[in-house]
Amino acid sequence: MQAFEYAGPSTIEEAVKSLTGSKSGVALSGGTDLISRMKDYVTSPDRVVYLKGVKPLAGITETKGGLSIGAGTRLVDVIANKDIAKEFPALQQATLEVGTPQIRNMATVGGNLLQRPRCWYYRSGLGLLGMKDGKSLVRTGDNRYHSIFMTDGDALFTSPSSLATPLIALGATATLVGEKGERTIPVEALYQVPKTSDDRELTILPGEILTKVTIPEPKGKNASYEARQKQAHDWPLVLCSVSLDMNGNEVNNGRVIIYGVAPIPWRSEAAEAAIKGKAITMETAAAAADAAVKAAKPLSANGYKVGLTKTVVKRALLAAAGNRYWEEA
Amino acid sequence: MAEHDPTKPRPGTSRRDFLRGSGLAAATAVLTAPAVAALDEAKAAAVEDGPKVLSGELPITLQVNGHEMSCKVEPRSTLLDTLRHRLDVTGPKRVCDRGSCGACTVIVDGDTVYSCTTLAVSCQGHEIRTLESFDTGATGVPHAFHQHDALMCGYCTPGFVTACKAMLEKNPNPTIEEAKRGLDGNICRCGTYVGVLEAAMAAAKAMKKEA
Repeated sequence: MQAFEYAGPSTIEEAVKSLTGSKSGVALSGGTDLISRMKDYVTSPDRVVYLKGVKPLAGITETKGGLSIGAGTRLVDVIANKDIAKEFPALQQATLEVGTPQIRNMATVGGNLLQRPRCWYYRSGLGLLGMKDGKSLVRTGDNRYHSIFMTDGDALFTSPSSLATPLIALGATATLVGEKGERTIPVEALYQVPKTSDDRELTILPGEILTKVTIPEPKGKNASYEARQKQAHDWPLVLCSVSLDMNGNEVNNGRVIIYGVAPIPWRSEAAEAAIKGKAITMETAAAAADAAVKAAKPLSANGYKVGLTKTVVKRALLAAAGNRYWEEA
Repeated sequence: MAEHDPTKPRPGTSRRDFLRGSGLAAATAVLTAPAVAALDEAKAAAVEDGPKVLSGELPITLQVNGHEMSCKVEPRSTLLDTLRHRLDVTGPKRVCDRGSCGACTVIVDGDTVYSCTTLAVSCQGHEIRTLESFDTGATGVPHAFHQHDALMCGYCTPGFVTACKAMLEKNPNPTIEEAKRGLDGNICRCGTYVGVLEAAMAAAKAMKKEA
């Protein structure tokens, strides 16, 4: 790890000032991603601004029917929150198995949303696109954990945040504070697809700090379902969060967001269209799952994700409708 | 067994002291004049504009197992390396050093954390506990690990004992499923998980008897 300057501010204003006062300063919270990246020289900032001493960043508060979750709130506190468990099970279910107990004690909502991709080419210092001599190492190499959507482009890693998936399904917004003031954007606008090796997959600007996410009043039903290779200490292979605005028994409007399949949290408009105006049954959920993967173009070693995504989407929809048939067997 | 007080020197010459002594002699011999100058330059300097920015070697004080312990570290020093190399608290082990294996687990303000991905400088003012402070008597977690053959090579054991202790403090009456989930953050390469889970359940039982 390269040496860096350290600032431990206690207010958001101080934190922004500390960040903007350096060339390549970064914010540190739980440290579960950043410190390992610094040890591997993937990220070598000249200054680290420690945010856990900024008390206003942590905590969950009620806002007009919805909830505001401070970016510094630890995952263990998200899981323990009764309002989240009751109103936003999609968020709790996606947070439950993130990392390990130690990681959930350290990691924060902001850190989870802004963690860098877990692609092993990126983590080995080959850049976000994993290019060498103008050729993609990912396409010809070991891409078992990479994308199945948007694979015509060069960004083949998958977006790593488990929490972004339910937050986008629930229509949450993110608030960022920088030198020029505050801006609030939909959570999905935190992410972009990098076109070149110099682009980032995050839209947060240098010197900006993510302060909170706000989830609007819950509409209808929501749930998450995920599939993993290992039960503990792993990222999901595929995770799907759905939020269904119901009109009686039928879906008025639904949001279907999938993790692990694209370089951004993947919104499946095809699955959303397939359930519009319909009741969620085994048949409609299966049809929506089929629609979700229709446009998938897997790489050489991740074809299994197509079938997996189908099952995960189907089960997330049925879980939201209260049918957990797979637990009954 | 007498409790080890980490603030007092241990009796006799330990293997660690011996190694440290011989290492120091070698290090002194190669420390050149420019290196000394560079070290001096790196001394703690607070930049004046805006919030305090620290760099170089800083004096820090940590509260470890109920003792105030002071040393000098750079901001990039992890809690693990500071405990082991500066404060002689060698219970937490450095194995993966990437927050993956759990051998470095310590308890900060009652919660387990990976000390290898925590900066020491950020831990000032927090209560740090390592397994050196645990009860080694018949109702303690270490005894349960011993009785239930919960270790083979032993590299992961300090981390497992610490994770187990913290889990039982939060949930003194775990089911086997809860114990599994509570110890999810630690890896044993020898695969002695059955013994570890038995030890965790036995320690819970023993602690209840004592209460």
